[in-house]
Amino acid sequence: MKLKKIMAFVLTMIMVLSLAACSGDNGSEGSSTDSGTSNDSSSSDSSSSDASGSSNVELTIAIWDTNQEPGLTQIVNDFTEKTGVKAKIQVTPWDQYWTMLEAGATGGSLPDVFWMHSNEIARYSEYEMLLDLTDRIESSDVLDMSKFPQEIVEIYNWEGTKQYAIPKDIDTIALWYNKTMFDEAGLDYPDESWTWDTFRDAAEKLTKDDGSQYGFGLRPSNNQAGWYNAVYDMGGYIISDDKKSSGYDQPGTIEAIEFFASMSKDGLMPPYEVLAENEEHALFEAGKVAMITAGSWMLAELCNNEYVIENGDIAVLPKDADSNRRASIYNGLGWVAAENTDHPEEAWALIEYFGSEEAQQKQSDLGIVISAYEGTVENWTAAYPDFNLQAYLDMMDDLVIRPYSKTTVRWENMANDKMILAWTGDKTAEEVCLEIADEMNALLAEE
Amino acid sequence: MAKQAKQKGTNRARSEFIWGWLFILPTMLGLFALNIIPIFQTIYQSFFKAGAFGRGNVFVGLDNYKRMFADESVWQALINTFKYAVVEVPFSIAIALVLAVLLNRHMRGRSLYRTIYFLPMVAAPAAVAMVWRWLYNSEFGLLNHLLNTLGFDSVNWISNPNTTFVWIAVVGIWSVIGYNMVLFLAGLQEIPQDYYEAAMIDGASAVKQFFNITVPLISPMMFFVSVTRIIAAMQVFDVIYMMMDRNNPAFFKTQSLVYLFYRYSFVESDRGYGSAIVMLLLLVIMVITVIQIRMQKKWVNYN
Amino acid sequence: MENRKHINSILLHLVLIMGSIVMLVPFLWMILTAFKTISESTQMNPFVMFPSEWRLDAFESVMTKMSFGRLYWNTFILMLGRVFFAVITATLAGYAFGRLEFKGRNLMFSLVIFQMMVPVQIFIIPQYLIVSGLGMLNTSFALIFPGLVSAFGTFLLRQSYMSLPKELEEAARLDGCNIGQTFLYVMAPLTRSAMVALGIFTALFAFKDLMWPLVVNTEQSTIPLSAALAKIQGQFAANYPELMAASLLAVIPMIIIYLFFQKQFIQGIATSGGKL
Repeated sequence: MKLKKIMAFVLTMIMVLSLAACSGDNGSEGSSTDSGTSNDSSSSDSSSSDASGSSNVELTIAIWDTNQEPGLTQIVNDFTEKTGVKAKIQVTPWDQYWTMLEAGATGGSLPDVFWMHSNEIARYSEYEMLLDLTDRIESSDVLDMSKFPQEIVEIYNWEGTKQYAIPKDIDTIALWYNKTMFDEAGLDYPDESWTWDTFRDAAEKLTKDDGSQYGFGLRPSNNQAGWYNAVYDMGGYIISDDKKSSGYDQPGTIEAIEFFASMSKDGLMPPYEVLAENEEHALFEAGKVAMITAGSWMLAELCNNEYVIENGDIAVLPKDADSNRRASIYNGLGWVAAENTDHPEEAWALIEYFGSEEAQQKQSDLGIVISAYEGTVENWTAAYPDFNLQAYLDMMDDLVIRPYSKTTVRWENMANDKMILAWTGDKTAEEVCLEIADEMNALLAEE
Repeated sequence: MAKQAKQKGTNRARSEFIWGWLFILPTMLGLFALNIIPIFQTIYQSFFKAGAFGRGNVFVGLDNYKRMFADESVWQALINTFKYAVVEVPFSIAIALVLAVLLNRHMRGRSLYRTIYFLPMVAAPAAVAMVWRWLYNSEFGLLNHLLNTLGFDSVNWISNPNTTFVWIAVVGIWSVIGYNMVLFLAGLQEIPQDYYEAAMIDGASAVKQFFNITVPLISPMMFFVSVTRIIAAMQVFDVIYMMMDRNNPAFFKTQSLVYLFYRYSFVESDRGYGSAIVMLLLLVIMVITVIQIRMQKKWVNYN
Repeated sequence: MENRKHINSILLHLVLIMGSIVMLVPFLWMILTAFKTISESTQMNPFVMFPSEWRLDAFESVMTKMSFGRLYWNTFILMLGRVFFAVITATLAGYAFGRLEFKGRNLMFSLVIFQMMVPVQIFIIPQYLIVSGLGMLNTSFALIFPGLVSAFGTFLLRQSYMSLPKELEEAARLDGCNIGQTFLYVMAPLTRSAMVALGIFTALFAFKDLMWPLVVNTEQSTIPLSAALAKIQGQFAANYPELMAASLLAVIPMIIIYLFFQKQFIQGIATSGGKL
């Protein structure tokens, strides 16, 4: 009896320890602080602190895209070689990322360096949570801010005076299609001649009656990589340039929403429940839909998937027949440092490095993302040679910055929730858009 | 003599006083710091509106409560939570009771069955929710596949606004049956066999024995289980958090009150509002518990 | 008569077996999916029940992305910590409430009972603010914090002490023990089964706790299994083999422990609700 128990315990311990051994870099061998002595809540992680107090600085970096981690780690290693300063990347999925930061901020400990997004920059700037980089940028001889797209730099500039972030990358949107399905239906692959009408035709031909295959799949909540693009093509807009009024009541906007909503209603997309339960790329990877639109951040996911490697490829987005416009929404993340970091100089050094031409070049070369630094993208397409990555670069001809304002999340969530009704047909696209416009204007007025 | 006894008496009393308080001190300190005071803090917080990043608390009086009363999603969430509890609790109790009765005899494989039925209890709820979500997936899930093979249409298990709560409750029932069953087994073991023997001699069928002997005698345990399970069901969070998201058409009609609490307090940093919601939950639970305690006289059989 | 009994027995087993299948199917599906490729897991014509090859890819991938060693450790500390504190404080308090008489006893105990009936969410925000105020977010201390004392445990132990014979204290006193010694050497050892029950109960619910770890330990290095699993749903959204592999790795240790210590588990749970 007792032997059995001892065995069970030993077995479990062996399992636990072997997993500890073969699982990836756990980094800190520092033991957990359960003896209640506060580690002087420093935002930099406890390094291998020997009692001799050697300055072994280890910065914490927070990001939300696990696909970018391996590549970024390489760049970080380069940095460590140059400067001796170590840094550890921690991934928290997008859904929990901001909650995690907020919790950290409330407790007085943010990561040293982290990603910033246009959705949230306003809040962080207003509450002065970020290290002001303005002076450091000016006196830096490594950084050249003019090499970054000005619109991206502007996102992270607060009230014209404080620059809080260095641009990291840009992303564009393109069309993914299933070659095998196109072959089967006898259709030509998408190219620059495609308009949204040709697109719809193809989707119709690619939709099978038995429901085993649909031409296209798009969730109402997928704005940046989805319907936002068509909105601008068709002459509409989401938010006015002065960020004071909503563009949802524009005829062009309504037209775009109606376009996609009708695709849903006409059965060219899987039933809404299926879309709700499965992300577009999952449906694409499962051979359920013939086309999807996807941002360049999805490359690691899609290009490494067996099914997609065999059957998929990329093309530019369709353009609008009348305006000839082929817009791509683009956004750029920024690297920021926490205002209360214990190691401002080191954090700055890291950010500066990330923004240097060298690191930006490497970022593109590794195929992680399209770097923001001008002229560093030539090698990016080589990252996944089997795919037409050039399509993403071609989309850079007509870029529209991702719509944002001080309280982006509020009206975006509201709009996405309402958008569902257009997809399910419970309300017409026009009704939904006008409702959104009203509420959005009210929210914008509060800013 | 009497004086000595009295002396001993007061010494004793004093000694018990000192030791008594000493022993309960850790627990009571903990309770005060972690539980009692927080209750008041939460009440207090419900009258404020917190700023971002935990900065600046602004007194807003009854605003949070006014907002809550007008908030459709709160009332819907309350209804959703009720619906969930109404399905989860009775079924998990009934099924568990029947199982306990069936297993409460010497039979082959008894402990194997017991092990199997209790197994879901030791699995982490997050893992449980993920696998059920996959089983329920309307497109790729095993359940729909089985239905299709048998010639039936697929069901939108977790994306149909009207019925999702039932299937989520099923996950809850699945998890907790073993737990209830174990408690009932323990209770059943306290029932003297003689009653059953006498009934058998009188020719009573198994079903009759169940309703006339088992149920009344296990009613105290049933009461305990139903009170605790209802309180737990009203707090449902894990399974909803893991299986539902904003995209889901059934979301609005399935999200529970505690899920709303989590969202407002931690995702949207609106702690004041979250606290108000918790107050509502407390009120509802207290009312239900009081009702249950009152009704206990009607059906619970204490010797 | 004999036949009827036989048929009844068969029916009984049939019902129980069907129920068992329902109980086990999710676990089996978890296992089967974890060994498939992504394509296999979403293939519809034909549907793939069993993986064509039992691949370990999903497991490897998941173990590199999440350091399970750390997760196990964090979960272990969480469970151990809560069990330790709960058992100690509850045993002391349970004895005092159950066997000693002192002023204020009943008032204090009614507070204990009251706390048991209140939904735990009431405590979360203030407790969170305390922990973050102490600068102890993202530590093991934070994880253990809500479990430092246990009202339920106190209640349980009190029940247990109350059921012991009254003569014990008399005998101990005659032997010259003071109350403390009586407690330590005589009374406490006799409530071992209740302490074990509390330990198991606390450990199990600590393991399953989701909201608190989610809220308080947001860094990779300090979260326990439950919260980690919740997070990966965002990360590996459509990669079901990996999600299932991670789930398996999360539940298997507990299942193994359960299988070997079944008797104690079940006994423990039964005791925790048994003595009313």
